[in-house]
Amino acid sequence: MALDYRKCAEEIYSHLGGKENIISAAHCATRLRLVIADNSKLDIKALEEVDGVKGLFDSNGQLQLIIGTGTVNKVYDEFLAVTGLSAASKADVKAAAASRMPLWKKILKTPGDVFVPILPAIVASGLMMGLVEAIPKFAPAFGQSDWYSFLDLVANTAFALLPVLVAVSAARVFGGNIFLGAVIGLMMVHPALINAWTVGNYAAGEIPTWHLFFFNVQQVGYQGHVIPVILAVLLMSTIEKWLHKVVPEMIDLFVTPLCTVLITAFVTFTIIGPIFSVLENWVLAGAKWLAGSLLGSLVMGAIYPWTVVMGLHHMYNVIEAGMIAQTGLNTWMPIASAANFAQFGACLAVALKVHNQKTKSVALPSSLSASLGITEPAIFGINFRFMKPFLCGMAGGAVGALFGALFKLGAPVYGVTGIPAIPAVNNVPLYLVELLIAAGIAFGLTWFIWKEDEESKKKAEAPAPEAATEELKPGASVIRYAGGEVLQPVPGKVIAMEDIPDDTFAAGILGQGIGVEPSEDIVVAPFDGTVTMVFDTKHAVTLEGNGMEMLIHVGIDTVGMNGEGFETFVKDGDEVKAGQKLLSFSSDKIKAAGHSNTVAVILTNADDLEGLEFGLKE
Amino acid sequence: MKSFEYVITDPVGIHARPAGIMVKEIKNLIGTTVTIAKGEKSANALRLMAVMQLGIKQGDTVKVTVEGGDEAAAAATLEKFFKEHF
Repeated sequence: MALDYRKCAEEIYSHLGGKENIISAAHCATRLRLVIADNSKLDIKALEEVDGVKGLFDSNGQLQLIIGTGTVNKVYDEFLAVTGLSAASKADVKAAAASRMPLWKKILKTPGDVFVPILPAIVASGLMMGLVEAIPKFAPAFGQSDWYSFLDLVANTAFALLPVLVAVSAARVFGGNIFLGAVIGLMMVHPALINAWTVGNYAAGEIPTWHLFFFNVQQVGYQGHVIPVILAVLLMSTIEKWLHKVVPEMIDLFVTPLCTVLITAFVTFTIIGPIFSVLENWVLAGAKWLAGSLLGSLVMGAIYPWTVVMGLHHMYNVIEAGMIAQTGLNTWMPIASAANFAQFGACLAVALKVHNQKTKSVALPSSLSASLGITEPAIFGINFRFMKPFLCGMAGGAVGALFGALFKLGAPVYGVTGIPAIPAVNNVPLYLVELLIAAGIAFGLTWFIWKEDEESKKKAEAPAPEAATEELKPGASVIRYAGGEVLQPVPGKVIAMEDIPDDTFAAGILGQGIGVEPSEDIVVAPFDGTVTMVFDTKHAVTLEGNGMEMLIHVGIDTVGMNGEGFETFVKDGDEVKAGQKLLSFSSDKIKAAGHSNTVAVILTNADDLEGLEFGLKE
Repeated sequence: MKSFEYVITDPVGIHARPAGIMVKEIKNLIGTTVTIAKGEKSANALRLMAVMQLGIKQGDTVKVTVEGGDEAAAAATLEKFFKEHF
């Protein structure tokens, strides 16, 4: 009997906890995909019982009901009619799922999203800059050499022009044009503007000012800034996307970029920038005041890394210079050193504790760079992303700074913190104790409080590919027919053939089967049989056995990789047992080449097989 | 019986997906048997596995033979298809 679509839709709706509980609805080839406001209002049991629903699961903030090809669209139409919802695309559903995240979380997440892609650049520069700046403190002659000035240029490029990197990455995050993003970033560090690092050398009246309408805009660049750049690019992306929608296509190409850049530039310099310079002045005044007392030093040691996150720390040179002019001793440095060294400690704890290789490889050099006083890689790359290490770092910084203030530590120089400041400091042993306290507390707290989330840990603990002939435990049955079954050849999430992100596979042109989103980069034999062909490009194999002809194809469009990232363990004509290793691949390389790593598991002679059944069965 | 020869220009040759598209195309030619040969080896062009096992690559010369049905039309269609896709 054909399914009563209307009835099915009505029943599903009746178990969803009312219309208010449904944020949006969409469907793919086999599933009804719903975003639900409150999962606790769902009657999951009853939903599973609805005639027509073959299964359901909750994934990525979406409730997915498996209904089936050819049926789901009809149920979906009825569902819209029943609920009065409007149709949503899959993208809308994904966006709605993301928007279920609390706002504060989204805001905290943004700098991380922006920073992660540019980490290689800032880790390299941070480390190099820390080293290059440290050497002259111990070997002054080096500071006069051509090598120093050359290496210094190389090292500080990424930092001197950081807003450009931030802007490009932010444009990608916010969906704006990255080249327009680059223009905004470049504009904010334009050589015609006074460099933000040297603006402290100018008296208030000396700074050239533009008079635009009723705004007085100081011609100062945004070197070292992060947040204003992200805000500017967020604004830019929003304007750009809106203009693309409303501007007629004929003139879109020149009207949209022009207006986008112009409006963004104007708002950045007149509103975003001034708000930040006011904020900066407050921070500066506040910091100066705090640094004058013991308790204040404690507080400053704690909040210092926040000012790094805000990109306000480059202002502190002014305080330091002022202190030296007044008393000859820079007592700000021990506070900054404690704060920075605590971030080093926290980051080092993550580096030593984490199992995920990728995180480890970022954390180690980042912590090194932080110990030399360049904390951006550690903060943005590790500590702030995981938050807890950042907070532990704050605690370490606070205590370290208090210690420094207690013993009146200081130095007659400015612009350095951490290890490079050692030669200049007035009491080296006590300064070392301070660093040890700051880093020690941060390290200890992070070590005990911070826990790697399970998913990333699992990734790291996945067994390394083993010896060629070794048999692995075959997976659960994923395809069955009257004469045999196919065991899951790749660990990971089994998806319907229709959901394989490639038209040829999804449409069944090569045969019928399933897809797997791999959790491990290995393919094993799905049944006892014969390897009929190993592709020269190593990304696919074919097998025969029990009357089945099977193609296992790793990734989409991976033929173009020419075997790079793939390794095969069998050859044409080999007899194999279910679970025997056939090939291994690198999901990272596949993704780096811009492809999907979905594995297609296809019976190419499906038309000849009776009673076929697809899907996971334990 | 009609046949034509073709030199593959597609840099990736006839691997899984192109073979699938070809099989789909040939299924439309009702009543015709198509054989594809590379050197000594040949395969029924409807058998996806057999076609893939020929391992046809860029620069290879393949011979496509059409038997039964409207042979002339089928051969012409296929030749055009090969030129467009491979």
